Amino acid sequence: MDELKQVFLQESGEQLDALETLLLELEARPDDETTLNGIFRAAHTIKGAAGMVEAVAVESFAHVVENVLDRLRNHEIAVTTELAALMLACTDHLRVLVANEAGTAQMGAAEIEAQTASLLARLRAFGPGGQVQAPKAAEPGVQRIPSPQTGHSCWHISVRFGPDVLRQGMDPENFLRFLETVGNIRHVETLADKMPPAAEMDPELCYLGFEIALESAADKQTIEDVFAFVRDECSLSILPPNAKVDDYVELIESLPEDTLRLGEILVRIGALTADELSEGLRAQAASAEGEVPADEHREKPIGEILVAQQVVQPEVVAAAVAKQTQVSEKKAQDAKLIRVPADKLDHLINLVGELVIAGAATSLLAHKRSDGELIESSSLLTRLVEEIRDASLQLRTVQIGETFNRFHRLVRDACKDLGKDVELVISGGETELDKSIVEKIGDPLMHLVRNSLDHGIEAPAVRAAAGKSPRGTLLLNAYHDAGNIVIEVADDGAGLNRDKILAKAIERGLVEPDIHLSDREIYDLIFAPGLSTADQVTNLSGRGVGMDVVRRNLQALRGTINVSSQSGQGTRLTLRLPLTLAIIDGFLVVSANRSYVIPLDAVVECVERPEMEHDRNYFNLRGQVLPSVCLREGFGLPGERPARESVVVVQYAGQRAGIVVDRLAGELQAVIKPLGAIFRHLQGIGGSTILGSGEVALILDIPALIKISGQAEQRMLVRPEQRSA
Amino acid sequence: MLVDDSATVLLSISGILTKAGFQVVTANSAEDGQKKLAAGTKPDLLITDLNMPGMNGIEFIKVVRQKPELRFMPILFLTTESQQSKRAEAKAAGASGWIVKPATADTLLNTIKLVLR
Repeated sequence: MDELKQVFLQESGEQLDALETLLLELEARPDDETTLNGIFRAAHTIKGAAGMVEAVAVESFAHVVENVLDRLRNHEIAVTTELAALMLACTDHLRVLVANEAGTAQMGAAEIEAQTASLLARLRAFGPGGQVQAPKAAEPGVQRIPSPQTGHSCWHISVRFGPDVLRQGMDPENFLRFLETVGNIRHVETLADKMPPAAEMDPELCYLGFEIALESAADKQTIEDVFAFVRDECSLSILPPNAKVDDYVELIESLPEDTLRLGEILVRIGALTADELSEGLRAQAASAEGEVPADEHREKPIGEILVAQQVVQPEVVAAAVAKQTQVSEKKAQDAKLIRVPADKLDHLINLVGELVIAGAATSLLAHKRSDGELIESSSLLTRLVEEIRDASLQLRTVQIGETFNRFHRLVRDACKDLGKDVELVISGGETELDKSIVEKIGDPLMHLVRNSLDHGIEAPAVRAAAGKSPRGTLLLNAYHDAGNIVIEVADDGAGLNRDKILAKAIERGLVEPDIHLSDREIYDLIFAPGLSTADQVTNLSGRGVGMDVVRRNLQALRGTINVSSQSGQGTRLTLRLPLTLAIIDGFLVVSANRSYVIPLDAVVECVERPEMEHDRNYFNLRGQVLPSVCLREGFGLPGERPARESVVVVQYAGQRAGIVVDRLAGELQAVIKPLGAIFRHLQGIGGSTILGSGEVALILDIPALIKISGQAEQRMLVRPEQRSA
Repeated sequence: MLVDDSATVLLSISGILTKAGFQVVTANSAEDGQKKLAAGTKPDLLITDLNMPGMNGIEFIKVVRQKPELRFMPILFLTTESQQSKRAEAKAAGASGWIVKPATADTLLNTIKLVLR
């Protein structure tokens, strides 16, 4: 695919997104001019761009859509639900047509055509825009009238330029040059009769006119088109070859210059013979006698022209100036954007990753040699590399708002299908995160939103009966929190049914019947594979992918999902995701001579392991209980625990835990390399990285370790008798 | 100079012009175009779209026309069949002529020939 087409595909995709968003906005505020204009512009841009890449199907369909939108914009037709729905359908269809251009359409050609036809038929109901435009009737040929005719074989062109022609960037001489491409100019007379005395003359105004004899095989339309740009301001008469004498006479009469002088010119050009002229003028004078005085008759056209030229359109100016400043400010910002293919950025990030590793190796060598100057310069280098890393990762971040906005449509459609009334509230749309993550959370988010709509928010009648507003609210929120991005999907629906979930989990053998579970643990069960397949048992049972798939998708992104719910009040799902997948600031620790990396965002503090009063896995950290996990024990590393150990206190999603290690080795930048598929089942390991020394270090999966530490303690608490036995 | 908010239009028209031997400076909005003009770009010809977000083409033409050094520069605007009414407005703002989108390379180059000195 060539570059132009690719740009077209990308651009039309963006415009279609914009179109959809604006159409949905329009439903809420049908009279908003800015929205209407935006909608029209989006359709217009798609049409224009399609024309440029010769995507005929897209162009012609967009054209019809645009016509209807134009009528909408001009308030010739009103915004109705029906029209909005139709426009959304058209947007979808345009998407299909564009995909078809790319060869990625999911529909067959026949199906697409059938849909085009049916949509066009529906569009037709909204006025002239829907009608297939009949091709313009050809300009009727110039009729040759047998007598009296001149023997002149040239077209005769009379043109008097408007005074502003120079100010509009046109050079009268250009028309002559351009006429040469249409035919041969046999004769030109320049008329400067309107030229005022030198003192009054404005050098920026044009006072000229031409009388031209053109020998050409072209038709009248072609010649007229040469003057199209000045057609409205100049007076232009074109007489065909062999025109009637009367036509010339009429022409002379209508022109502002002196009759006799014009007559002479025409004779000189060869358009008329002297006899023809005098005969014609005499006849004209006779018939005009007693009617309008000749002077007044002549002056009128110029007067009209001048009036036309002095027409200023203040309301147009005002309208253009009064454009919302807010909008223009935002657009001015957009203008600073440049388009870069994503794979180029990925390549850059990869290179930066390698640079980080190479930088670490250099700094390691410098330290080994204890060369002060080298250490200093390498630390400067390291700092710069860090900045480059941050800046280049920033390049790949996008705002999440675009992803959120797509749900307007989903919510709207789902509400229609389900007979519910739900308002989608979006906040934190400007929160930025890595594009590669944005791409992957679309589906899980979609699933969560659908779940809330399907099963969370009740039907209006049920809500009203429960004393709630009949209109449900679905909140999408995003914000940054300690190196993570947090996305919340919250609804004010019925909430999760704790007892039902528990009963089902016991039935499926996921939990033992007599076990005591906290609310949180029960809610977590909805992510268990067995429970999600769903015969409407939980209030969150989905269609298609289950909640376990959602969680698995998020875990693949090193993210987590939490659910909280209050019966009758609603459900809140909280997703936590890392900001980027590529490089992290890490904290290097060593246990049994093996290196491990803890993501620095998770580290709260480091302390020396306090004197053990017991052999349980928790500490007293300044009066608070801190569950802990010992890497040596957790990973089954060989060797005895050293006498002095360190504890790294980590925090994730509000929970703390201590990780006991042999020693601390300081901060580093870790380029995350994913682990191979065979290591996927390993708990507590999130990835690997390469150290400056070339050694491989494993990156600890802090959320998993925190969970393990908590569970281990809880097991011990629940069954102390087993432990002592 | 070529001003249009559509990347497709920018790419295709500048492609045609470059092939024909013109040097093309592109801008993706009126504001961008203004900035480039302010930075010293002095084009022989300006081609601008009318329908752009932010400052529209007509406003842009007016602003350009007020610059003394660009008072007589030919300005063409991009338009479509359906936008006839806009033409008069753009002409009043100081445009020289228009190009109907989508234009073939021939039409485009012919039109430019007509207005370029």
